[in-house]
Amino acid sequence: MIETISLSPGVTLRCCRDDRFKQGCLSVQLVRPMTRQESAANALLPSVLLRGTVSCPDLRAITLRLDTLYGASVSPLVRRVGDYQTTGLYCGFMDDRFALPGDAVLQPMVKFLEELLLDSPVENGGFLETFVESEKKNLISTIESERNDKRVYAMSRLLKILCREDSFGLSRLGEPEQVSTITPKGLYDHYQQILRSSTMELFYVGSAESSRVAQLLKPMLSRIRRQWQPLSPQTGFHPCPGDNVVEIMDVAQGKLGMGFVTPITNRDSRFPAMQVLNTLFGGGMTSKLFVNIREKHSLCYSIGSAYYGAKGIVTVSAGIDFDKEAQTREEVLAQLKACQDGCITPEELTAAKEAVLSSLRATHDSPGAIEGYYATAALSTLNLTVPEYMSAVAKVTMGDVVAAARELKLHSTYFLKGESQ
Amino acid sequence: MIRAYYPELDETLYRETLENGLPVLVIPRKGFTKKIAYFVTDYGSIHRDFTLEGQEYHAPAGVAHFLEHKLFDLPGERDVSAEFASMGASTNAFTSYDMTAYYFSCTEHFDDCLKLLLEFVSTPYFTDESVAKEQGIIDQEIGMNEDASDSRVFENLMQALYHAHPIRVPILGTSATIREITPQVLETCHRAFYTPENMLLCVVGDVEPEQVAKIARQVLGTDHRPAGVKQYLWQEDMTRPKEEVSLSMEVAMPMFSLGFKCESLGKGEQAIREEMVADLAAEALFGESSELYLKLYEDGLIDSSFGGGFETIDGCAMLLCSGDSDNPHAVRDAIVAQGEKIAAQGLEEEAFLRMKRSALGRRIRGLDSFDATCFRVCAYHFSDFDYFRFPEIYRDIQPKEICDFLGRVVRADRCSLSIINPISSNPIGG
Repeated sequence: MIETISLSPGVTLRCCRDDRFKQGCLSVQLVRPMTRQESAANALLPSVLLRGTVSCPDLRAITLRLDTLYGASVSPLVRRVGDYQTTGLYCGFMDDRFALPGDAVLQPMVKFLEELLLDSPVENGGFLETFVESEKKNLISTIESERNDKRVYAMSRLLKILCREDSFGLSRLGEPEQVSTITPKGLYDHYQQILRSSTMELFYVGSAESSRVAQLLKPMLSRIRRQWQPLSPQTGFHPCPGDNVVEIMDVAQGKLGMGFVTPITNRDSRFPAMQVLNTLFGGGMTSKLFVNIREKHSLCYSIGSAYYGAKGIVTVSAGIDFDKEAQTREEVLAQLKACQDGCITPEELTAAKEAVLSSLRATHDSPGAIEGYYATAALSTLNLTVPEYMSAVAKVTMGDVVAAARELKLHSTYFLKGESQ
Repeated sequence: MIRAYYPELDETLYRETLENGLPVLVIPRKGFTKKIAYFVTDYGSIHRDFTLEGQEYHAPAGVAHFLEHKLFDLPGERDVSAEFASMGASTNAFTSYDMTAYYFSCTEHFDDCLKLLLEFVSTPYFTDESVAKEQGIIDQEIGMNEDASDSRVFENLMQALYHAHPIRVPILGTSATIREITPQVLETCHRAFYTPENMLLCVVGDVEPEQVAKIARQVLGTDHRPAGVKQYLWQEDMTRPKEEVSLSMEVAMPMFSLGFKCESLGKGEQAIREEMVADLAAEALFGESSELYLKLYEDGLIDSSFGGGFETIDGCAMLLCSGDSDNPHAVRDAIVAQGEKIAAQGLEEEAFLRMKRSALGRRIRGLDSFDATCFRVCAYHFSDFDYFRFPEIYRDIQPKEICDFLGRVVRADRCSLSIINPISSNPIGG
């Protein structure tokens, strides 16, 4: 159902032809290695591109242009996928079938995308200072507001401890200090360089044939003098000694984070079993962590686990009273031990498999979800379509789940506690 | 069921009115896993005066919303939300000024979910204890609402714009009025307005239309009971009682809500056309791509919190906008002046077409959302209009209609301004 077309070395177009929707989407992503040096610049770039072009010099001109395209939208797209960071734009627009007679949306949409990507106004060899400075402010405030969410903050601290030897510990949007050092010329030069050399992923969902989409993209792509530098392949967890960190802050509720590592990544045939295990262990209201630690023992306000398949990491996060740390930690390990010992009921297994299947089923219901799944899967080397993934999940046995549980090892913990007590 | 196909939208609609009077609408979406159903009554917070079986009733404010909460109770301590959750579905409801909707969304067990939805909404079960408990809960909701500046600024505006229309009273009612609600009051209102002929069932998803109608017959039976007759006892002209109203609250920056009183729209195709004209007029006047929006934004008079549009409610209609501003009076004056300017100068043909295209495109893209589609189809059905005919209405609208609307409505003598000032700073206005 997904057609993959190589347009030139390092430039791939993936198309999902589907006429169930009224709207289509087209995304473009430049794929970068996640590094401290450029993560902030990559995060800033799309917002600067969306401030204006030579022919649409301000926000109103851009809005008017989007009005002409039947109320289309373009938004920044910045993702982390394993060792990679992507930077680009996401266009959502009405499908051509509904345009007035003789009118079209896809073709002028691609043309506008080309302008946004390649026709930014330039001064002194860089982007316009006004655009860059105001978007820097916005980005810094986004990063800081993420920091104000203590659950998110605790999780990012845990990942930093866990991933001292690889880029997964870096903040997805960079650090405020890095954002503030970006200059209009520096950002422009960086953009010119990554436009030429990066792996470029284009993704389309809609009613047009893939060959037509490829044809429409050609004029834009021919304007870029490509010198592709292929990316290093994705890697699993990079070993480093574990650590247990406690941090004191003025907070009302403690946040406990526990980081586990596993050799099972989404490039492994045991991946579906690990996904089911994670759901059974801590992925929702029927999971062992929720049912036992929250409902039965009332040790926490919130608890759940997450599996980062691109890297082979499982994290548990819990909101607890400050004096409940040791007890919660023990109980989480006891629940994992129960999984490893096969103390799992058939009902728990069925509920977990059903939950994974149900979220996969919804993937095909919207262009955005289709793009999100397949564009990310391609980069993280998850070589399963949604139907393949679902049938693999359906086949997961009790033995597979127990074996997956036995591949999880506690690595590090982080505890954010308050000043009192 | 009767099938209609709309080639411009590539939509199909099945419809049938059952023996008991219930209209059933099904919008099949082949190949999708999500399915939703809305069971809606043409009854909201403003419908307090009615006759039923020859008797006249005047219900206390807040009954429609109270009833919405209480219908989730079923005999035998059953928990409706938990029953939906056990089928992997989720359920919710809302009450507006003129409509109350109950709905669920699921991927599996659609038939059972639909049966449960129809069952719980059509089963009144009220006890003195549960009603007393709910009074406490809703009283807290009212208290929270009183602290919410965005609700207060809007409710104050309604009181400034309207002399007598019940939109002057909040949907939740007041602490005093909800105390007048008894199990008997709830039963009467349920009997009056939750009869199939006053309701609508709308389903979107990959379902069998005939099966939907069959389930509705099974659960609701074939009895046709007449609905209560709404009484419209108030009179409104186009004057407004107050030009301005202000209040001080804990807000960081002054906020405002500005309204222009419009003629009530009535029902049917002409009404829908007027609504679409008014929507476009709002875009032309202060929409994000309008000349005025950019100017006010650049002058620092509005920020990204600014927004507005045309609202129509049973018996009234208004052009509204709201946001944060250090100088709401300047915003009002600029909007009035711009309305007069567009009405006098007319709209450029090209700008008009662009606006129309954008509005049409956004509506079409909106059809991908099951919930938005279901909501619109229901609301338009109660206005006696088939929602999927909107492209032909748009096609027909002329720039002159927009200018005429703005010339008629955007006038100082039809306008009220509601302001909330921060406590402990120099107040704006009176």
